[in-house]
Amino acid sequence: MIKDRIVTLSATILLLCIVMSVLYPSQFPTVENFSQIMLNLSIDTIVAVGMMLLMISGVFDLSVGSIVAFSGGLAGYLMYYHDVNFLLAIAAAISGSLLIGFMNGFLITKIGINPMIQTLAMMGVVRGLALMLSGSGIQNFPYEYNYIGQVKLLGLQSPIWYMIAIVLIFSYLFKNIAFFRRYYFIGSNEKAAHLSGIEVEKMKLWAFVIVALLAGIAGILLSSRLGAALSTSGKGLELRVITAVILGGASLSGGQGKIVGAFLGAAFMGIVGNILILTRVSGYWQEIILGVILILAVGIDQLIQKKK
Amino acid sequence: MKLSLKNISKSFEVVKALQDVSLEFHEGEVHAICGENGAGKSTLMNILTGNIQPDAGDILLDNQKVIIQNNQHARSLGINIVYQERSLTDGLSVAENIFPLPPTKSFGRINFVQLNQQTKALLQQLEISEFLPETMVATLSPAQKALVEIAKALATNPAILLLDEPTASLTEKETAILFSVIRTLKQRGVTVLYISHRMAEIKMIGDRVSVLKDGKYQDTLLTANCTTEDIIRLMVGRDLQQVEVTNHATEEVVLSVKDLCGKGFTDISFDLKNGEILGLGGLVGAGRTELAMAIFGATPIDSGAILKNGQRINNKHPKQSIANGIAYLPEERKTLGVFLQKSIAENIVSAQLYGNGYSVKTNNQKAREYSKTLNIRSASVQQLMCKLSGGNQQKVVLAKWLNTQPDVLIVDEPTHGIDVGAKLEIYKILKQLTATGKSILLISSEMQELLLLSDRIAVMREGKLKGILNKIETSENEIIKLAAQ
Amino acid sequence: MNRIKALLFSLFFIAALSSCEAPPRTDGTGNNLNTTTFVTADSVSADEEYVMITTAINMPMYVNHDQAAFKKWAKKMGVKASILGPSEWDIPAQIATFEQVIPQKPAGFLINGTDPGIAQVINKAVDAGIPTVVYDSDIPGARQHSFIGSDWYEMGRLQGERMVKILNGKGKVVVMGILGMTNMEAGFQGFLDVIKKYPAMEFIGKYDDKANVELAAKITADLIVAHPDLAGVAGFDGNSGPGIALSVKEANKIGKIKITTVDAEPEHLQLVKDGVIDYLVGQKRELFTQMGAQLLFDMRHKTIAFSKNDAKAGVVPIPKNITTGSIEIDKSNVDLFIK
Repeated sequence: MIKDRIVTLSATILLLCIVMSVLYPSQFPTVENFSQIMLNLSIDTIVAVGMMLLMISGVFDLSVGSIVAFSGGLAGYLMYYHDVNFLLAIAAAISGSLLIGFMNGFLITKIGINPMIQTLAMMGVVRGLALMLSGSGIQNFPYEYNYIGQVKLLGLQSPIWYMIAIVLIFSYLFKNIAFFRRYYFIGSNEKAAHLSGIEVEKMKLWAFVIVALLAGIAGILLSSRLGAALSTSGKGLELRVITAVILGGASLSGGQGKIVGAFLGAAFMGIVGNILILTRVSGYWQEIILGVILILAVGIDQLIQKKK
Repeated sequence: MKLSLKNISKSFEVVKALQDVSLEFHEGEVHAICGENGAGKSTLMNILTGNIQPDAGDILLDNQKVIIQNNQHARSLGINIVYQERSLTDGLSVAENIFPLPPTKSFGRINFVQLNQQTKALLQQLEISEFLPETMVATLSPAQKALVEIAKALATNPAILLLDEPTASLTEKETAILFSVIRTLKQRGVTVLYISHRMAEIKMIGDRVSVLKDGKYQDTLLTANCTTEDIIRLMVGRDLQQVEVTNHATEEVVLSVKDLCGKGFTDISFDLKNGEILGLGGLVGAGRTELAMAIFGATPIDSGAILKNGQRINNKHPKQSIANGIAYLPEERKTLGVFLQKSIAENIVSAQLYGNGYSVKTNNQKAREYSKTLNIRSASVQQLMCKLSGGNQQKVVLAKWLNTQPDVLIVDEPTHGIDVGAKLEIYKILKQLTATGKSILLISSEMQELLLLSDRIAVMREGKLKGILNKIETSENEIIKLAAQ
Repeated sequence: MNRIKALLFSLFFIAALSSCEAPPRTDGTGNNLNTTTFVTADSVSADEEYVMITTAINMPMYVNHDQAAFKKWAKKMGVKASILGPSEWDIPAQIATFEQVIPQKPAGFLINGTDPGIAQVINKAVDAGIPTVVYDSDIPGARQHSFIGSDWYEMGRLQGERMVKILNGKGKVVVMGILGMTNMEAGFQGFLDVIKKYPAMEFIGKYDDKANVELAAKITADLIVAHPDLAGVAGFDGNSGPGIALSVKEANKIGKIKITTVDAEPEHLQLVKDGVIDYLVGQKRELFTQMGAQLLFDMRHKTIAFSKNDAKAGVVPIPKNITTGSIEIDKSNVDLFIK
């Protein structure tokens, strides 16, 4: 079933690209346009990889958008107000993100708070922290910091490369490393997984730490790329990412999904966004259209399942 | 003649589920239907309840031809069924579950007074006093829930009642209630179709028994005139007693449990010998599964000790038990034992995910090997678990645990919900394991099974170990005495 | 086979590293004349597209003033006007939209200066040779060709002067708005500089209403309780006024607490007419976009040339900064504004 989704999603993306290339031959199929699309979806994709991990194990995390803002905000705060060296600032931001992920994981696995409620609450708390750190926005980062997100390799800006690297690495890990395979079993049947000797609590805790790490990295890349830490960074990111991951083949109940699906889901949404801009469709249509696409994608999938 | 099926056939693509089956059911008779999994029983039931339509053949109700269009229609014709799976809503009361369309007052308000009275009357009729109409279903035990299901089916006053493995989760007491209900129904002229694997029950409550095998009708026997072996022979064409019953136990103790206390059991002490099958008998609720889970490390132990090969072990998590060579096959296979959405191969490796590598190729190979040795019937090891029959699923579970190279296997109701043919195979496998030096703690509620396989039988009651009997010297009565007094 | 793979990989790696393009330095240490050429055209075409990119694309104030004036202008000039951006106040989304339109090289960009974070992307547009005008709030770190907007310090000063007048130089006052935003802080400062000159005026503090009506109301209510002799409240964002007015009404202090605030939307005008708000400082928002778009047009079509080729010579042929001034509204002229 998952295989089908990867195939159908890729086919749909291809179809869209072909249609757009025919309708807007001078604007759509250009290196510039594609690299712009990739650049803009790189942040979302990096977080989506983490979210795919979580959804495979049957949970999700609503606080990732706030962590993105927090990570960039903390690094910016340290560099701007305390003249901290950029490497140390990055280390601090990543450590902070890991800590948040650990707290999420701990409160969910050891104390037993429902994941949705816990991460919803954390979303508010971390967003508040991010606001405190970045106020109305911090700019004027040291050149070295901006370099990280703005350097271009082979004409493609670095976040694109980070995205590709993370997608490839995690795809490999998920196929070949037992640690990551265990998540499929946890998502498929948590109780059976426990009785099969899998340390479910530990694994779940790690999952939240990993997704927070990826969100932290994404936050650094975003603020470095913009040269600014914005208080509104990452707003709405969690829902976009969850949509992308579901489009990419994950199921809310867990046990399904491939990392490359997260990338394809995000790519699909990015291309749709690009189409709306190229065709000058108003901003609010974008949300409606993405919502409709999600319903269609999952609905069609259900119908195919019923036929079988 | 109340209901008759003439030359019914039904195929699902290539699979011929029913071929030219003809059966007759009389008014006021209890007619048992037997057959292995895949014999066509479910298809038959689905046709009678209107879920599917036969490809060919006729159904005659009171000598009139009928086409049963759907569930609603079947119920209006007086045909109702009590399924194996629970269909109750935990959050509602017994009365609300029994009457999903309750009596209402003006504006659609539910008339609870009348509803509860109706239910009380029905429960009284059925001589069920274990719970009240107002009781929340969530608080009932699985056995009590089964009784509610039966009451629910009877509330519609069926002329024909289908019972699918009704005693699967009932205790002796509730089975007795069920049988008396069935006898009452008989007197009222209700036709009862009783689908079951339990021969003893069929002989006790059934008037006639029909056997299906591979979608074809075999024969109908009068239960008074036939033996269990006769029925089994029709179902599988072989005798149950083909399991060799040599005792492979040695004197070495592989697992020793001393004064173990935990939730649901107290002061449990016994020794499991190398190569032995130690049966663990008792009624539902005696604490056997609780004991097993505690030994396996899935639930905590309050006090006491477990020694393996003389060394004290501290199993805080199933992972440690597996490392210590202990395996546990859970009673509730579907919810606790298998990953339904995953393939056979994936299930087989699911207890060995703490190495570092994961190679799909190696896993598939391993799975194929186990499929061969355990005779798992499936087209490929990529087949999803949910598509396998109960018996094959259990074999996959066995393979999964054998894959952990255990010394001790705790098997909890291993043949629950499995057809006779597969049961036999599992018995053979278990016995073969002991021949190779493995030890088995066998939890079972089926007397025949316990007596057949075990070398010794321990009996638990209300969390305590009442006694350990030697197989040769004991009988069913002895066991029941210890279990129930 | 593995060796070949490794070799290919390392070659690729080296190629990638060597094609490394560092981002431009913005701290003056780089090599740039700080000017780039821009695209011009000799004739006006109906396909010429001027793109406005903002956030909160559906906000009534933006729609009724900025966007309406922009569309009117485009119709009159016979060119295309496109309005793009997210419906939320989502800066990253505004940036993403902006970035994706740049490759299409429209005739000009009219950018709502929502947040300093958009500086990078403004520079990208300028470097791509597209005339770019920022309106409403200035973005100091960026190289846009022109900025057109209100003078917030002045808006604060006007409020300060009026507040002193209606309180007769005596009383406790506070200001409310979005703390930390450059233009609003400038407004606060303008107000404060006036108040400081009158010793009998007591300044209690700055309060953050986060552009939220309910929050403004709540803060006002709390202040009234804490300072029963509160004499005046000065609001600095569009939602401050209605929120402050609500609490003053509910506390039965109409007339006892004087309110001055910014913006002249229907709700503000009505409150002035009702006598709840005493003074409004309105922005000439239509000018932002109408004149802003005209600046873009002029730049593209070389309306005024300062040299033989301004683009090549590094001359930007439009004003660097335009301050549009303020509209003062009180009971004496409010009827002329109510539609």
